[in-house]
Amino acid sequence: MPRDRLQRTGVALAALGTLGAVLLLWMVFFWVPTERTLGIAQRIFYVHVPSAWIAFFAFGIVALCSGVYLWLRDERLDMAALAAAEGGMVFCTIMLLTGPLWARVSWGTWWTWEPRLVLTLLLWFVYFSYFLVRNATENPDQGKRFAAVVGIVGVLDIPLIHVSVTWMRSLHPQPVVLRSDGPALDPDMLITLMVGLATATTLFLGLFLMRYTVECLKREVDQRRTGAQAAQGA
Amino acid sequence: MTIRTCLLVAAILAISSPELLAQGTDLASQTLGRAYWHVFAAYAIGWIMVLGWVISIARRLVSVEQALKGS
Repeated sequence: MPRDRLQRTGVALAALGTLGAVLLLWMVFFWVPTERTLGIAQRIFYVHVPSAWIAFFAFGIVALCSGVYLWLRDERLDMAALAAAEGGMVFCTIMLLTGPLWARVSWGTWWTWEPRLVLTLLLWFVYFSYFLVRNATENPDQGKRFAAVVGIVGVLDIPLIHVSVTWMRSLHPQPVVLRSDGPALDPDMLITLMVGLATATTLFLGLFLMRYTVECLKREVDQRRTGAQAAQGA
Repeated sequence: MTIRTCLLVAAILAISSPELLAQGTDLASQTLGRAYWHVFAAYAIGWIMVLGWVISIARRLVSVEQALKGS
């Protein structure tokens, strides 16, 4: 797809995602019923869970693109992995910041060293190191390869985060949506959650495409500079 | 007009039933306030983080487009 078209698609998706976010805010504050036991604080669920979903989705893209990059050495895959990693970090940070706000009201503490929290924090650090590793080497191609390995290793943490509430003793509740006998949520809450997930996905895809386009342009500038320097040297 | 409106509101408040005023006190004594702040803070963090990413992308785009024009 041409770069201009990618950029326009990105802007359109981001605009659509922003509209979805406004709708979500209206639903969260004026429409969805209040949960009986957790009260008002349960409304954090509609930003916390979509952020978690996007973080996992983005890091999945990083791992997939990184794996294929190591095989084919196609620069476009590295650029896609980098753009997705940036978005994943943004949404993972939102997840890690909104969680304690909910935990303080529901559990009476901002943070506790329970399995899911520890594994999620570990995920954040792994992908933070993805950026550190990229820029830590003299040879940029070597940095890209090292980062790709980190991106693949990091994604192994995501299934552990998912099963941590069933395999280990955890303060987090058992899954309420991804259950064998169907979601155990009030229909209005489920609709709000779906709007939240769709909004976050649209917004992420839009910004991911824009970030990818910027990376394409940046590398084009770098290539031109390198070419100009080589011409001067000759 | 504004003074008359203020006087009217003040008069309504003055003759309001004690039960109506007491409702505010009862609600205020509940522990909902803190939870509301946490919900607002959570959504504010979400918006700020995403907006931050948008601004960061836009700035880099402008910078790289200028570099392309210059080269």
